[in-house]
Amino acid sequence: MPTISVKRDILHDALGRTYTEQEFDELCFEFGLELDEVVTEKNDDGKEEIVYKIEIGANRYDLLCVEGLARALLVFQNKMKIPKYELSKPGKMERLEVDPSVLQVRPHVVGAVLRNVTFTKERYDSFIELQDKLHQNLARKRTLASVGTHDLDTIKGPFRYMARPPADIKFVPLNQTKELSSAELMDLYSTDSHLKPYLPIIRDSPVYPVIYDSNNVVLSLPPIINGEHSKITLKTRNVFIECTCTDLTKGKIVLDTLVTMFSQYSDTPFVIEPVETVSQGETSIYPSLKYRTETIRAEKCNNLVGVNQGPKEIAKLLSKMCLESKVNADDSISVTIPPTRHDVIHPCDIYEDVAIAYGYNNITKLTPGTLTVAQQLPINKLTDQLREAVAQSGFTEALTFSLCSRDDVAAKMRKKIEDIPAVHIGNPKTLEFQVARTALLPGLLKTVQANRNMPLPLKIFEISDVVLKDGGTEVGARNERHLSALFYNKTSGFEIIHGLLDRIMQLLEVPRSEKKSSSGYYLETSED
Amino acid sequence: FTSLRECKMQDFGSLILEELDKANQLDSLKFAQRHEVDEQKIVGAIKSLESLGDVIQTKIYQVKSWQLTAEGKEVAANGSHEYRVYSAVPDSGIQQSKLMSSCGAFGKVGFSKAMSAGWIKIDKSQGAPVVMKLVESASDTVGEHMVLIQKGESEKVDAKLKGEYKKRKLLEEVVDKHYTINKGTNFRTKIEKAPTELTADMIASGTWKTTSLKPYNLDALGVETGGGCLHPLLKVRAEYRQIFLEMGFSEMRTNNFVESSFWNFDALFQPQQHPARDAHDTFFISDPATSDRFPKDYLERVKKVHSVGGFDSQGYGYDWKIEEASKNLLRTHTTAVSARMLYRAAQAPQFVPQKLFSIDRVFRNETLDATHLAEFHQIEGVVADYGITLGHCIGVINTFFTKLGIEKLRFKPAYNPYTEPSMEIFSYHEGLGKWVEIGNSGMFRPEMLLPMGLPEGVNCIGFGLSLERPTMIKYKIDNIRDLVGHKVNLEMVKRNPICRIDKSGTGEERRLQVLNRRWANIESKLSCIQKQMEVMGISTATAHGMAADSSDGNLMDVVIKVHPDKPPYSLQLLLNVLKKRFKVAASTHTHSSVKSAGSLVLSSDESRITADVKITLIYSNVTRPTMIVKNAQIQGEENIVRYLARILDSRGGGNLYESLDSKVVAQIDNILDRLTDASKHSVSTLIPGILTKSKYLAGNRVTIADILAYSLCKQAAVSNSSIKDWSKRVEDAIAKM
Repeated sequence: MPTISVKRDILHDALGRTYTEQEFDELCFEFGLELDEVVTEKNDDGKEEIVYKIEIGANRYDLLCVEGLARALLVFQNKMKIPKYELSKPGKMERLEVDPSVLQVRPHVVGAVLRNVTFTKERYDSFIELQDKLHQNLARKRTLASVGTHDLDTIKGPFRYMARPPADIKFVPLNQTKELSSAELMDLYSTDSHLKPYLPIIRDSPVYPVIYDSNNVVLSLPPIINGEHSKITLKTRNVFIECTCTDLTKGKIVLDTLVTMFSQYSDTPFVIEPVETVSQGETSIYPSLKYRTETIRAEKCNNLVGVNQGPKEIAKLLSKMCLESKVNADDSISVTIPPTRHDVIHPCDIYEDVAIAYGYNNITKLTPGTLTVAQQLPINKLTDQLREAVAQSGFTEALTFSLCSRDDVAAKMRKKIEDIPAVHIGNPKTLEFQVARTALLPGLLKTVQANRNMPLPLKIFEISDVVLKDGGTEVGARNERHLSALFYNKTSGFEIIHGLLDRIMQLLEVPRSEKKSSSGYYLETSED
Repeated sequence: FTSLRECKMQDFGSLILEELDKANQLDSLKFAQRHEVDEQKIVGAIKSLESLGDVIQTKIYQVKSWQLTAEGKEVAANGSHEYRVYSAVPDSGIQQSKLMSSCGAFGKVGFSKAMSAGWIKIDKSQGAPVVMKLVESASDTVGEHMVLIQKGESEKVDAKLKGEYKKRKLLEEVVDKHYTINKGTNFRTKIEKAPTELTADMIASGTWKTTSLKPYNLDALGVETGGGCLHPLLKVRAEYRQIFLEMGFSEMRTNNFVESSFWNFDALFQPQQHPARDAHDTFFISDPATSDRFPKDYLERVKKVHSVGGFDSQGYGYDWKIEEASKNLLRTHTTAVSARMLYRAAQAPQFVPQKLFSIDRVFRNETLDATHLAEFHQIEGVVADYGITLGHCIGVINTFFTKLGIEKLRFKPAYNPYTEPSMEIFSYHEGLGKWVEIGNSGMFRPEMLLPMGLPEGVNCIGFGLSLERPTMIKYKIDNIRDLVGHKVNLEMVKRNPICRIDKSGTGEERRLQVLNRRWANIESKLSCIQKQMEVMGISTATAHGMAADSSDGNLMDVVIKVHPDKPPYSLQLLLNVLKKRFKVAASTHTHSSVKSAGSLVLSSDESRITADVKITLIYSNVTRPTMIVKNAQIQGEENIVRYLARILDSRGGGNLYESLDSKVVAQIDNILDRLTDASKHSVSTLIPGILTKSKYLAGNRVTIADILAYSLCKQAAVSNSSIKDWSKRVEDAIAKM
């Protein structure tokens, strides 16, 4: 789950009052956030400021900045009306033209313009921070979508989105002074801890995506870096936002989120200027800012949440969650889902908001009415019975890992890994997790090794699952329940382990077969 | 007594008693010397006699004596090092290197000692240094002294010299303990050995009737029982399993660690770009790498609901790929098994309500630390039936945790891709004094259930937690490697108590809990009585005084628990202000969990029945001051002060806190935070620092910042002159309010 850092004083300003840490913690809890940590950080002027680290649900992109967080909390407390996000009707719309060359690399682009914005240092920082949070979470580290923001007054549309060979793209990247080709740029950033992780997204592509303005100024090299030319400053008034993406749905959400949050600072708040995208002869207008209506019924909601609320009450509860709702003549409820709430994809998401607004901890506790008869899983029951019996026979239980190294199951047991039907892990971080164990014995031997200071003799056992490759099963592998016991002393004491085996067989009612037939158990010499 | 040296301890005992009978007093050292035995054997016999019960009386006395060290003994035998070096020098002289090699280990010390004694000299006139005798003969005093001391005639050697020999590590001073023995009140010369054990022979011969048995030593430990032990984590697992069974949950078949992405993620409506599906978080299998035997129709429905939606859902709007779903992995949760079980239930001709549970291993390719391993046990419970609601989910979880002895629960909205609504489960941890997350829960999404073919109207709740975490908390284990894996200490496994899961904490903590419960019982009975009195018309709570808020009934009725070491002097100040504005009933009590009350006693003449404001102060064993108001708890003295000040400000024109200018309020909050954070700022430096700038802590009027600081200073007994002056100012200002 993402965690955002918010300066306490800015948050208090936005919420219109101060909160003690405990009060704010309570408010967060009720709303489904977690005040994770409170730290003191030095700001740029060297002054200490209290910063709240708040954990946000992974699907609430609208809460990833202080603007959205405060807005949602104010609406939740009935202190603010739900804002209405609108598109303006510009005389001439800015245009993004998509060249077919880019379709193979990063096919989509969406854009928007924020007009007459007033930035301050804090707002600017928050704007950058939100882009970063969206890049990390929703856009899966820029692989699905990435945003470039530009001072519109320094560039001139229409803008062209195309793909060109790396050597042909030359520009001064953000915060640099020299013009570089995109190939040089890749070298430069290969040591940059912030940008390095994004380079592989396009590095090996024969052509790189790039956005030009009508004067051939490079706006950005998505998803890596913007140009220095169109950089945003605190003085910027008109912001051009482009969002290139491989997943158009995600791109639209990213754009919607950015503009709904920061149009707050336009001279006419919450009004956003659209930008048209022309691709393969088709024109689309973004941001979509789509308001969707779902119709729900109170009974259904009550039946899921376990409360008894009338349609009016439900509508009122939903309005606290930024979901404008009205009751229809037939008592159904029309719920308007704003473009900030892309997490609402099913009526059950609406029911959840009813439950949150009602308060999870106010819901009456119920017990399921249907009688059920419990069944134990036979193998687990037997396991527990045998564990008791083996412990009663003087053996102490060990609990070892089910993952281990290849050597643990093979070389150390004087076997070849090729001969062992082990399940292999493709992405182990260390040697300890190369395979799933095929036997319990290596784990028990390691337990003895770690307990050499214990008085002798050591008697230990484990009953647990091993994993074996098995082409006959659905996934190609199966678990098998094993019992393994180990006796460790200065003499080998085979008769001790033999005795335990006899005891277990006695408990399981398996007779000893004198004739070595299949109707009982017997021992045989084997090489291992 | 020729064979005395082979005597047994008991024989020495008889001998001591016989001699004591004649001599009335004996000395252990002399006795041993007389009989030429090791004194330790005699001491053993004395100890044994002592245990018979005042047969003898003993007194210890100490004697210091000198003994030769190993080196000292060598000197006694062969002469001192310096003498041996001197003796090794021929009259004609010898090359130094030759001398040293001939003298061996003692050469170096002996050489320097012989030099400083003036016995030898070095002549370097012929190049290589040559050692020459300087005196014709030398007498070896050191060697002679060692011989003397060895003979026990150390008094013949000068004390100063003995000190020097000690420095040379030839001598050491030892302290010997000896005994003076006198007759005891039960003195007798005949002792019969008391048998320790009743034997079959005694019973057979009948001697048991006359034999006196040695009493058991009840202060020693018994013999260890031996036998095997079960592992702590699995003992806890058995308990959880038992609880599920008691609640009518059936066990799921979870013995398949290897799972396909399809069942682990896609079936649960977890989108294919979800971060949990990254190689960072999940162990993918390279061999066998993929699965392909999925139910075909179901697979299509899953694909559709992910990519374009359906079942009333918008879907995630992405290109769903079978390649991603076929990847094998080590299951990241047992919910994969739950999904299989629910799918199976959906295939039955008629839906049968399901209550299922499992406790088994799951795997995460995560960063490891003291509380996280790559594999752990997940506990999971699932209920599917018609008409199941979130209220049932809360109810089932509540029952489950009550059985575990965890009663204070609350639920926080959360996000989980396959549940909606989703809830994190928090429980109040008495030890930590805060709410801690203990599990996750929610109702499975329709996008997961409906594609399986479960009938419309069947809802399904699920909850999960780890087995390791509660076990670590229960047994107070900080590092998970001390609990799971081959490095676990088997001694810990042996010593681990049985798992009485509903009994949390150590024995002592449990006794305290019983006390607290008893106390809570009394409190609730008292409040019942109060309510009954109100019904009978005895209460006049809202009839009097200030503009009573209709919703409040009476203005305030709080119980404040504090530790006696930290009397809340802030309350005393606030109480003075409250008393001028409201009818205040205050009383002070002491809880049995503490030995004595604190130094502050709050009281008033007003009766509880007529009062608008009721404050009950209880000295109790709490870590932080805690105020109970209605059903809520407010923790920390600063927050109690805030609460009281808010009421004073809004109802009584107090002007102590939030009725002030917002900048001042922010300043007050800042000071309260700093005062509370005692780790960084000591009050004795913080307060004078602020006071250099203004009359009171937050400007020129008294505020709750002063009130809290006043209390903290008094608790810590801080008194420098600036704090004293300011404390006086605060008291005066409060008195004038």
